[in-house]
Amino acid sequence: MIADSFKEFKPLIVLLVLTILLTACVQSSSNDGETTTEDGKTIINIGRSIGTNHKLPEGDTFEDNAYTRAAEKELDIDIRNAFEANGEDYDRQVALAISSGDLPDMMVVSREELKDLVDNDLIEDLSEVYEEHASDYIKETYATYDNRPLADATFEDSLMALSGTEALSAPQMIWIREDWLEELDLTIDEEGDRLITLDELEKVAEAFIENDPGDSGNPVGIPFASFLNAGDYGGSAFTMNSIASVFEGQPRKYLIEEDGSITYGSTSEGTKQALEVMNEWFNKGIIDPQFGTRSFDDIMALLTNGQTGILTGPWHIPDWGLSTVREMDNDARFAAYALADDEGNVNVFEQATTGRFIVVRKGYEHPEKAVQMLNLFYDVMLNTKEADMENTFPEIAEYLERGVDDSTKPFNIVILPNQKYLDDYQDVQAVLDEEMTVGEITDSQVRQNINGIIEYMETPEDALTNSWSNYHSRIVGWGLMNKLTEDDQFNWAEAAYVGNTPTMEQKQGNLTKMEEEDFIKIVTGAEPLDYFDVFVEKWQNQGGDEILDEVKEELAQ
Amino acid sequence: MIQGNNLSTKIGKFIIYFIVISLGLVCLLPLWNIVAISFSSGEAVAANLVGLKPVNFSTKAYEMIMEDAQFWRSFSISVQRVVIALALNLILIVLMAYPLSKTKREFKSRNIYMNIIIFAMLFSGGLIPTFIVIRNLNLLDTIWVLVLPGAVPIFSVILIMNFFVGVPKSLEEAAIIDGASPLQILFKVYIPVSLPALATVALFSIVGNWNDFMTGLIYMTQVSNYPIMTYIQSLTIDIAELVRSGTNSDALQNIAEVQNRNLNAAKIVISTIPLLLIYPFLQRYFVTGIVVGSVKE
Repeated sequence: MIADSFKEFKPLIVLLVLTILLTACVQSSSNDGETTTEDGKTIINIGRSIGTNHKLPEGDTFEDNAYTRAAEKELDIDIRNAFEANGEDYDRQVALAISSGDLPDMMVVSREELKDLVDNDLIEDLSEVYEEHASDYIKETYATYDNRPLADATFEDSLMALSGTEALSAPQMIWIREDWLEELDLTIDEEGDRLITLDELEKVAEAFIENDPGDSGNPVGIPFASFLNAGDYGGSAFTMNSIASVFEGQPRKYLIEEDGSITYGSTSEGTKQALEVMNEWFNKGIIDPQFGTRSFDDIMALLTNGQTGILTGPWHIPDWGLSTVREMDNDARFAAYALADDEGNVNVFEQATTGRFIVVRKGYEHPEKAVQMLNLFYDVMLNTKEADMENTFPEIAEYLERGVDDSTKPFNIVILPNQKYLDDYQDVQAVLDEEMTVGEITDSQVRQNINGIIEYMETPEDALTNSWSNYHSRIVGWGLMNKLTEDDQFNWAEAAYVGNTPTMEQKQGNLTKMEEEDFIKIVTGAEPLDYFDVFVEKWQNQGGDEILDEVKEELAQ
Repeated sequence: MIQGNNLSTKIGKFIIYFIVISLGLVCLLPLWNIVAISFSSGEAVAANLVGLKPVNFSTKAYEMIMEDAQFWRSFSISVQRVVIALALNLILIVLMAYPLSKTKREFKSRNIYMNIIIFAMLFSGGLIPTFIVIRNLNLLDTIWVLVLPGAVPIFSVILIMNFFVGVPKSLEEAAIIDGASPLQILFKVYIPVSLPALATVALFSIVGNWNDFMTGLIYMTQVSNYPIMTYIQSLTIDIAELVRSGTNSDALQNIAEVQNRNLNAAKIVISTIPLLLIYPFLQRYFVTGIVVGSVKE
């Protein structure tokens, strides 16, 4: 009997033994420990965060393109991709790499991942190599942010990562169809200071709804996205941030008050006042009556159809959001304004200065290569003039011509000096005023833009939509920022940037959802304005107070 | 059969046809809308003008796909995957289902194997352990990682096993009397009478392998190795989500360029064509090859 049951199990046991033997055979990891190629180049395995639309020429890949070849030539290295993916997929690959304990030699990570890596002692201390190898330009670039990007990557006096930067804080702009303003003979902003008031905006919206200059037959008011607010400048398309800022409310932002206390902008009195205005506008029909149910695509459709000609958004929205408007209506033009408060100031929050981080695996022999790559891509290449580019980096000059994007560089991050866009704007203006030639502009991207801008200014009707976008974002958008900076109209609110605290990770999602839903209710009148106080209380009780405490604690460190 | 021809039957028929046709349309119209979108111009799509008829007819989206080398590379990876997976799945399903369809008297350790596969169907090692196993087997970035982890679809094995159990015993006995070996019995008796069931699991395998994007996303570390659905998934990013998460302007611009909805629609259309082509070929097996009539009691 026992023998019988053993017989039953025999195949299983054989299988088990076989499996163990097999796994033992292939224990070697994919990272086979090679560090130099046969011709003596240092191998670097990089986790690559890539973009969707890379426009690489035939035959080039993310692993082998003009940028990687330039790095190989200049720095004597051989770049290999440990993995490549974009967006969320990249985050997943990073998570898999961290949890399976098989880190690439270098990769780009978020602030939270950086903390994890530091806590688990998985990455190299870069303090020394940074001091020794970083070029003066790179150091100066960080200095334009008061070295905050470096401080954000410093843990117990050790620099654990190289930071990307987020250039420039700016006001959310009000984009208005300029051709419609002219058609209806409306003048706003008589002083020409590019500032408008809420009343002026209301008047324009009313006139657009009444006269339907887009001939759509069904004009709607100003469209807003259902999420209503953004805590980040780049995300402020179709949000009400600028309206709140008129009342010095900065929704979705953790702010440092003058007395040093921490507050959350969405619960401020200013936000309440802004919601009051929004509710009033909703009742008058100034705001899209279907607000709250429109998807992002639906809002784009309203603009493209000519049903509305007013929107709120960042300076770069013509680049990616408004081009279909021009394709539909060749005469479409937008003007950008900023909303001013009673004293004529524009209230703006300070954008976080630090982007993502480059980290180097603990125990990697050549951490200095990371810094050298930084020098090459964010100093040398950026500061090579057009004439020299052809000689030094002919392939890259060709890439710029094609519009190959930055994600083909080994590290998909941005390192630009603070106020870079204002400098760029002045360069563009200087070229337009014929004080400078295109070739003298150092930034290759700006050289690309300016050709489009000139094309649009010469022949607005025939210009490519791309040129139309360049003109609107660079001349109209940057122009507004430059004007306000020159006139010194900004009133800055200091934001507390701490990334995610533990309570935020747990509760932020629900809190934000509650905030969105309650704000929609207030704007559409489903709840009275006083409901805002109920919201504030709920927010505080459901984790908001804990978050404020944590933010305070983290800032104290 | 008596066919009533009075008014109430007619009304009844009308109602039935009405329901069936409207349900059919509910399934068909969204697909047709995607086709219409794929043949319209970008700005018309962005303006929500496209319904069931293309607006400003344009084949630009398809031309752009034709030029996209990665799309076709991914397409061929997916075709290879489906072919290999289909062959592997069918062989393994049949070879596994046949012995398991025998009683415990004929095949002593049957229940042990049965319990193991059911256990494996219900519980898995989880994402990260599986990933580590795959990595240590050096399967990352190979076609095999798309095929081997799913080589034995347990659900299909059980389906076929039950089908084999239902095959009349006398068929097998007749074959034994004629001197057929077990392998001959399987291939000459069981498989020919089981074609409808095999066509069903083949369809499961094809559709499942063609549509699966998750495996490619996790185990392929280079975009050039992505199967088609993973590639399409990586392109169709919700721009609203990206805007909200505050991606920088260059990235947004790049995405907006590939993100136009008619290009996505065209990709969806092209990627559905293979399945649409395969279905009619398999369909005839659903009608023929029925066990009824093979035995006379």
